[in-house]
Amino acid sequence: MKKKNPALDALRSPQGQLLLFVIVLSVIQLLNLQGLVSSSFVQAVGNTLIYAIVAIGFCLLLGYSGLATLGTGGFIGIGTYLAYYMIQEYELPFAAALIITIAAAVVIGAVVGFISLRIEGIYLAILTLGLSEIIRNLLMVIKSTVKIDVDHVRLFGAKIGSTGVYFLILAVFAVLMWLLFNLIDSPTGRAMLAMKNSTSAAQAMGISLMKFRLMSFVISVIFAAVGGLLYMLFIRTITTSTSTLLTLTTSLNILGAVIIGGAKSLWGTTFGVFIIYGLQSMFLSNIPFFRENPAFITMVTGVLIILVVMFFPGGFAQIVSQLWAGAKKKLAKPGREGS
Amino acid sequence: MFAAFLSTLCGTLLSVCVTALAAFAVTLIFKTSTTTNFAQGSIAALGCYVTADMLNKYGVPVYLGVFVGMAVGVLAGLFIDIVIFRNGKSVNAVGKQIITMGIVSIVLGGIPLVFGTPESIPFEAFYNTQKAGVSPNFIIPAFGGEVVVTKHALICMVITVAVLGTIFLLLKFSRWGLGVRATASNEFTAELMGINSHFITAVSWAIAGALGVLAAVMYAGSGTAISATFMTTVQVNAFLAGILGGFSTFYGPVLGAVCIPVAASCIGFLANFPMFSGISRWNMVIVYVLMLIVILIRPQGLLGKPVAKKV
Repeated sequence: MKKKNPALDALRSPQGQLLLFVIVLSVIQLLNLQGLVSSSFVQAVGNTLIYAIVAIGFCLLLGYSGLATLGTGGFIGIGTYLAYYMIQEYELPFAAALIITIAAAVVIGAVVGFISLRIEGIYLAILTLGLSEIIRNLLMVIKSTVKIDVDHVRLFGAKIGSTGVYFLILAVFAVLMWLLFNLIDSPTGRAMLAMKNSTSAAQAMGISLMKFRLMSFVISVIFAAVGGLLYMLFIRTITTSTSTLLTLTTSLNILGAVIIGGAKSLWGTTFGVFIIYGLQSMFLSNIPFFRENPAFITMVTGVLIILVVMFFPGGFAQIVSQLWAGAKKKLAKPGREGS
Repeated sequence: MFAAFLSTLCGTLLSVCVTALAAFAVTLIFKTSTTTNFAQGSIAALGCYVTADMLNKYGVPVYLGVFVGMAVGVLAGLFIDIVIFRNGKSVNAVGKQIITMGIVSIVLGGIPLVFGTPESIPFEAFYNTQKAGVSPNFIIPAFGGEVVVTKHALICMVITVAVLGTIFLLLKFSRWGLGVRATASNEFTAELMGINSHFITAVSWAIAGALGVLAAVMYAGSGTAISATFMTTVQVNAFLAGILGGFSTFYGPVLGAVCIPVAASCIGFLANFPMFSGISRWNMVIVYVLMLIVILIRPQGLLGKPVAKKV
């Protein structure tokens, strides 16, 4: 007989896992306020979460629609500059800035997507790379360094400070993740998956390729722009000509995170972001060897990406689920013999 | 004014050569392995580091140093094709693309570890301006003014034309060239016809690696400090040149590689007129937008043929 355990059942659902995740990360910040965890650690966690927001949007694009693009850096850039102009220059509250960012991302995503999705497959990556370069050049010409004062960051009229921004990032991550989980299980998500597996079969089932490709592209642009907005609130400064945030490096890192973690798994993607962005800044920076050779982890990431693509196309999510299935079999066998 | 314009055009000579070599390398890989090699620039940078070390630390003659650097490029290319691509379980086109991105990460992380920090090394090749004590420029009086070309650019142009010319002749007339063209048009059929497409692909990777390093050395030789990412701009332009010219032919991307730097400098030249005085900041943006418009009208590229897809 299988015992029913409501707490365990809740953890099996993605919503339950999300709740646990949010609670754990909130506790980290609360421990920091008590002085038990260093604030640089919290800074690293927040930073990783921002990249995770961008990456789960990309996960929908790559894992569910099968489109590999390299424009992520540029779209993050749009978010950061919008954040600067709205929050620093026009002193808008966060909610207004968020709505405007999303609206701008929808417009830009639709226009860019409409141009670039005419081209398929490998070309798409190169074309979006070019578009991202246009955006980066444009932003660099407009203003080379943007900076936000922490006093300008307001949520519902109250100044929230950097602790508040951390919780804000966590909340945005949770909401977006929840929306994505639901989207993937909806007819839209199914249509995207069908499209990835066979464009011809999907078309035969009456799925409009352009519509769903555009939709997933726009969603990924929204996630990237929101990531940029939050980055600006959290880090509060960026120099476009020297920062790698808006370059090909970020686009490749996000893509790498999605591949390592497993392109079809949102939790896997979050884990991939942790490997690429979080591991170094949260833990390894305390070890002298890694502190002196920050490039080493980049190399490890590269090796991981190659090994995963070569042998585990489903990424870490696939490895974990295979191990889990194996463990279950082993556990189940003696149980059957006993009864 | 016309002489000044010619000088501006000659100023792009070096970047035309560099972009053309890189674009040809990218196209060769694209056609034989159906993937875009994002590691092109990083491997080139790696080879360039080796060359720079040879020249600066061991005082090796320039051409020998470049040769060793190109050998590193060849080995890196062969490694990707033979060790990685052939042993992957089920590596599709996007998978290959992502593997090359993994190579980028490895090289970016590896260069500071092997060659140490500071990452930037001053580097001069082919025509050593500081030691020679002679003017680095060629000045031709023409059209009531002076047309200025750097000697380095001229040497690079001769090398580029010779190298690309040889490869185009080989593509047209040699058995290897026939094999490449057959593999590019359909790998499976080519194998049925008795072509060793593994060999063809491996040689293509080797050539692409060598050409990339050659381009990097030329680019760095003009006095640019080299770093792990200094070829990124060239690589992006090479890809875009491929799209602009169309990947369906070998000469299309080379044409694209000529167009992009020339267009950029022409737009920059407009800054000499008072009406467009502020334009030089915008020139890359304008070039990219112009290119997008071309691609919108002709998605297959300037010289490309539309591809009919069979189901």
